[in-house]
Amino acid sequence: MNRKIKKTFTYLILICISVIMVGPFLWLLLSSLLPNTNVYDFPYNVKLQSFSISNFTGVFEFVDFGSYIWNTVLISGASVFLNALIASMTAYPLAKLNFKGKDILFTIIISAMIIPSTAAMVVNYLTITKLGLSDSYLGVILPTSVTIFNIFNMRQAFLNIPDSIRESGRMDGASELRIFFSLIMPMVKPSIAVVVLFQFMASWNDFLWPMIVLNSTNKYPLSAALTMLNGQFAYNFGWVAAGTVLSILPTLFIFVLTQDMFVDGVSGANKG
Amino acid sequence: MLPGLLILAVFVFWPLIYSIPLAFTDYSVVGDMHFVGMKNFQKAFSDSDFIAALKNSIQYVIIVPIIQLISLAFAVALNQKMRGVKVFRTLFYFPVITSTVAVSIVWSWLLSSGGLINKILLGTNILSEKISWLSNDQTALWVLMFITTWKGVGYYMVIYLAGLQSVPGELTEAARIDRASSIQIFFKILIPMLKPQVVMCSLMSVMSAIKVFDEPFVLTKGGPGNSTLTASLYIYQKGFQNFDFGYAAALSLILSVIILFFSLFVKLYNRKK
Repeated sequence: MNRKIKKTFTYLILICISVIMVGPFLWLLLSSLLPNTNVYDFPYNVKLQSFSISNFTGVFEFVDFGSYIWNTVLISGASVFLNALIASMTAYPLAKLNFKGKDILFTIIISAMIIPSTAAMVVNYLTITKLGLSDSYLGVILPTSVTIFNIFNMRQAFLNIPDSIRESGRMDGASELRIFFSLIMPMVKPSIAVVVLFQFMASWNDFLWPMIVLNSTNKYPLSAALTMLNGQFAYNFGWVAAGTVLSILPTLFIFVLTQDMFVDGVSGANKG
Repeated sequence: MLPGLLILAVFVFWPLIYSIPLAFTDYSVVGDMHFVGMKNFQKAFSDSDFIAALKNSIQYVIIVPIIQLISLAFAVALNQKMRGVKVFRTLFYFPVITSTVAVSIVWSWLLSSGGLINKILLGTNILSEKISWLSNDQTALWVLMFITTWKGVGYYMVIYLAGLQSVPGELTEAARIDRASSIQIFFKILIPMLKPQVVMCSLMSVMSAIKVFDEPFVLTKGGPGNSTLTASLYIYQKGFQNFDFGYAAALSLILSVIILFFSLFVKLYNRKK
């Protein structure tokens, strides 16, 4: 009996916390499904027949949301792919190969994490302009194509792989590159999943750097467009709510996909 | 390895190296670059806006122990074997995966003077009159700190959950047989076992608290007055609104040194224990 009460109590607390964590989003979803919403009129006068997707169609028709989504897919897709590839290729030698200055190099890389990103942004903006990449997607993607966090993460994953794997590959006459791609990489899948998820979240949600690099607003990714939308159509709560919901869905989707590998990947990264 | 190092060199190390000489110049988009010596640094320490911004950024560090304790507690609670635990993990993690922009839009509606939060607080008689949380200079910074905490706990929770998987179950079982209370187990067994994770998370958390930019940028633009102006936001304003690159570089150097100081403090503090 005592146990049962304790269990109910635990669930009750967990549900209360869930309401705090997810409640705002449920309320947002509700607002996006009601035409002519005024977010200050809560509690809404909700009837089942009053639900409609008119806010969502409105956002696509009048604000060209489709092209913003495409821009974001392009930027985040490229950024995720480059990070997974380059971070692994940079981290592997740092973890497994022996060369002079390896540890110093790693320490230098890690210590660069203290630089405030706004500080780096000023100089990066100058660099991008000098390279003639302002107002281009390449200018948005390049500075984020590999992050220290991802290199760190992949290095920890490679450290956990026994050296014997590499030796056995070498005995079979495989080249170092071949060993890397067909033996090592499949073993660090959970960590790749973490890199993919974190990088996808970071670039899908990034708004500041794209807004600095891109002059043409029609090249904006979603988050940047949403800041703009919130300014221009602030009176049209329904549209802003619908746009916000649409911007959340893809990250939610990727999270659900990678979720099972996720805790494994994170624990791998923290063992070292 | 080379392409990775090249990109880091250009976009991570070059900014660090180049901002040092830049900090001693008056470089901006127009006009030539002149060496001005320590002028930018002298200006910084008598710049009342920058001092206010630094103060706010340092006040933000208060959330670090709060975030860490909450996320540890969440992780311990969700490490039990019970039904629906996975669902709760996903729900608690949900704010982490959403963008600051999306989060800011929702909270700015909820927190405005006619918003839901005020209605609830008035309805339950906790408040007697409306507060416009984000445009009141007494509450604005605290509200931003709350939103950062709310958005961040899930992130650290997952790291702690991963760490808890390596804590043997027998350990807590044995403690329970010895009639240790849950709170004792939490502070005396679990936190010491998770020390590597606690140190790493506190470090990350301290760094991102001092560097905080997104929330004030989207929600308050530093206002009302200077009440939510943070150091990163001020550097951004100097660099990209006034195009005063030299001064912005000097301010970033000062901020980097402060971050370094705080990180060393976290590291030393934990080593001593």
